[in-house]
Amino acid sequence: MTPKPPRRAARLLARVLADDPAGPSILGDLHEDFAARARSEGVRRARRWYRREALRLAGNRGLDTLLRTLSGSRSMTDLFRPRGLGHDALAAVRSARRDPGLFALVALVIALGVGATTTVFSVLNPLMIAPLPFDEPEDLVWIANESEGGSLSSVTSRSSNLRDFRARSTSFQGITGYNAFFDQSTYTLSGDGAPEQLLGVGVAHDFLEVLGVRPALGRGFTEDEGLWGGPPAVILTHGFWVRRFAADPGVVGSAVTLNGTARDVVGILPRSFDFSSVFTPGVPVDFLLPFPVSDETNRWGNTMSFIGRLRAGASAGTAQQDLDAVVATLQEEQPDRWGLGARVTPLQAHIAGPYRSALLLLVAAAGGVMLIVCVNVANVLLARSPRRGREVAVRKALGATRGRIVRQFLLESLLLCGAGGVLGIGVAVLATRFVAGAPGLDIPLVDRISVDGWALAFAGLAAVAAGLLAGVVPALQVSEGRESTTLNEATRGASSHRAGRRLRELLVVAELALACVLLVSTGLLLRSFQAVLDVDLGFEPEGAVAWQLNPSPDFGSLDEEAAFYDRVTTSARSVPGVAAAGLIDALPLGKNRTWGFRVVGLPADEDTDVGIFPHMIDAGYLEAMRIPVIEGRGFTPDDTHETTPVILINETAADVIFPDGGALGQRLMTGGGDRGWEIVGVVGDIRHLTPETPAAVQVYFPITQMWDYQTMDLVVRSRLPATTLAPTISAALARIDPVMPTRDYWTLESTLARAHSPRRFTLQILAAFGLIALVLAALGIYGVLSNSVAERTREIGIRMALGASAAGVRRAVVLRSVGLAAAGVALGLVMALAAARMLSSLLYGVPATDPLTMFGMAAVLMTVAGLSGLLPAIRASRADGLRALRSE
Amino acid sequence: MPTSKVGEFELLVLLAILRRRDAPYANRVREEIEEHADRTVTRGALYRTLDRLTEKGFVAWELEPSETPDRGGHPMRRLMVTDRGLEAVRDSRNVLLSLLEGLDPVLDAP
Repeated sequence: MTPKPPRRAARLLARVLADDPAGPSILGDLHEDFAARARSEGVRRARRWYRREALRLAGNRGLDTLLRTLSGSRSMTDLFRPRGLGHDALAAVRSARRDPGLFALVALVIALGVGATTTVFSVLNPLMIAPLPFDEPEDLVWIANESEGGSLSSVTSRSSNLRDFRARSTSFQGITGYNAFFDQSTYTLSGDGAPEQLLGVGVAHDFLEVLGVRPALGRGFTEDEGLWGGPPAVILTHGFWVRRFAADPGVVGSAVTLNGTARDVVGILPRSFDFSSVFTPGVPVDFLLPFPVSDETNRWGNTMSFIGRLRAGASAGTAQQDLDAVVATLQEEQPDRWGLGARVTPLQAHIAGPYRSALLLLVAAAGGVMLIVCVNVANVLLARSPRRGREVAVRKALGATRGRIVRQFLLESLLLCGAGGVLGIGVAVLATRFVAGAPGLDIPLVDRISVDGWALAFAGLAAVAAGLLAGVVPALQVSEGRESTTLNEATRGASSHRAGRRLRELLVVAELALACVLLVSTGLLLRSFQAVLDVDLGFEPEGAVAWQLNPSPDFGSLDEEAAFYDRVTTSARSVPGVAAAGLIDALPLGKNRTWGFRVVGLPADEDTDVGIFPHMIDAGYLEAMRIPVIEGRGFTPDDTHETTPVILINETAADVIFPDGGALGQRLMTGGGDRGWEIVGVVGDIRHLTPETPAAVQVYFPITQMWDYQTMDLVVRSRLPATTLAPTISAALARIDPVMPTRDYWTLESTLARAHSPRRFTLQILAAFGLIALVLAALGIYGVLSNSVAERTREIGIRMALGASAAGVRRAVVLRSVGLAAAGVALGLVMALAAARMLSSLLYGVPATDPLTMFGMAAVLMTVAGLSGLLPAIRASRADGLRALRSE
Repeated sequence: MPTSKVGEFELLVLLAILRRRDAPYANRVREEIEEHADRTVTRGALYRTLDRLTEKGFVAWELEPSETPDRGGHPMRRLMVTDRGLEAVRDSRNVLLSLLEGLDPVLDAP
């Protein structure tokens, strides 16, 4: 089959060429060269070539057509004639040199706009525009178990589903998957050097093949290695290979010891594919290992995330129908089968999905800033136009066409924007570096954020668009055919340029309205952030430090394991300065899983339709986290595997499962065990998933009775700073288990900061935009008023000579600026209300129409507007009418 | 002066079309020029020149369907040099030849 050129590029070109009679043949020419290239250089490079070529051609032909259409109008023909272009360009440069201060200021303003938009474009590009770092990424889809959202267990799928989907569906070239819960257990690398705790993700053997990722060295997994009990193999990520093995190619073919098992290193991932950056931002992955698609893993339940590659001609929609049919047939054949489901979404949409609204908000905000910039620049240029009216009139009298004059004005604003664009790229490079390096920012593909060729092209386009947009109104206004009046006015001394002033005031009102929308949005996000910070988490993150424990011994019995962990907490508590220490399988604001349950004594069909979040803790955990026991008791060392199985539930669980009260003493069937678990205590709710998500139904099991956990987190509470505490705790742990890695620790406050980071990030950028908008709006008001004061000096002077007071003049000017601001703010508030819908998904604890924010920001804007009118007002009140008259 | 009607690159394009009478298509014309003139011809420049030559009436073309899978079902453009185009080429040749006359010693000097 012949390869297809990239769909989007081909579609773009076809659209540009739609009105071109030779268009179809041009598409064919490109297609032909593409096919030849695909044969000689490979499909991937050919597609890249096609994309470049199609874009270039689309630009070329599009511009040709545009010029031809435009030059159809007679009076403007000169606009596009090369004659005199050099002369006009020189004139533009001369005009810039006449007023270097103004030129620099305007260039700076444009730089802010170009910088803001280019930064947002750079952040957005890898996630939403650029193709994912896979072969033909548009053919990749994400197959969730059910709808998106909810806990991780409800979107992941069983490995039997993978097996059956592969066998029965017809829409896919391949379906693969990885273990979505890989971060619940860690591996200890032993052998050369210090033992190190690592994260590895289990993947189906054809994972790399389906994604179209070729290892940089070595090979992918074989089918044999993907079997249960198959040859132990491992593929290292590029980053880990460089960090631990100094990029030694000799590692491939050697063995590494992970959790005591020797595994052959069969390959190294390419630098371009960073697993965690695409699939699990913020969770670094060190290696891949095979995840068997077998009956054994199927018993673990919903553990896998699936990715499929569509066959040629299939779409996400047809694949969905295909899988729906497969699911229906399977369910019919095996009525008892659970956990069956498939929801297909394009992979890129899945990855970008959670960040979509925040990014779109930033796009809108950057667009708003850019508009304000354009309006501002247009205003400055307009303000200059009366002064230039005479020059224009003379040139026209001497025979210049309107096209020539408009062109010269456009060249001037393009020159401005060129300078601004270059500065703006500088701004964008700095801002992008700040964004990409922001700590704890868990956005997928954050490593690919940079000002690349695309971003530069975008910046150039933005600058040129700004130049045209800002230049065209003044250019048209000045070049309007009124030369005689202009000449007369100029010689007689113009009494007013009322129309020009009206236009400028209108622009300022627009600018203020946009600034108002940005400020209100920023205010709403700020209030949400405050609300999130104020959330009662249910535990105290301050002063708590945590270690993940990965003990080296294989415990023979639960008693042995319990004794080990008892030694761990006892020795941690004996460290001076430690107030409390406890254990849990997964600390809050991290991992999650859900289990089903049933209340003993109630018939199965009356079960509430909720899952529980299980946690395994020791007797010291609640105290170490400062989680209160509301009713009954906590765990004690007397709860052993020989005594009655006991659990604690949180308040939400008590309310949901036992709405009539009386939870204590009831028994739940869950997580194995045939007698059920007796509820001995009710404890306070905690925010487990995110600070914003209310507590779910939580159940705590004692680790002495329940061993369904992979690793344990040790949490230590102390007033000592973490850096002082860490070495002593590490030393104490090393005395118990010398092989266990103990160097890595984290504070719960850092976990919390990480959970806040996306919100903080959006807020920071938006706040920067809001501030820029405010400053520009103030500049805009100032510019318009000081100009109008300068124009009306004579008039004001005469008024004062006739008895108007200085205070009265000042008041009039300030009132004018407040009036403008009021109009802008009123318009802006209406726009903000309309924009609120877009914001609402990003808000927390504050309505999108929060009156406090709206009026607060309106007040800020009005105050700033009043202040920016002050200086022109003072200048006006010092107007000397006589001098103005004399100078005429 | 009749030669002012056709620029250097336009002349190259006209000549290439004439040389590839067997398969006068844009891609072949491009290859022909690249081979003889030893320069890269960008697609945009070629298409723009073809537009200009068509406007001047030197070149005519028609679309013809193509069965090759390589073209993805898109038609080919069969290019033809018109009588006026031939005339322009002839004029250019004459001007070049008369200007070159007697310059061999200068041009072939080491």
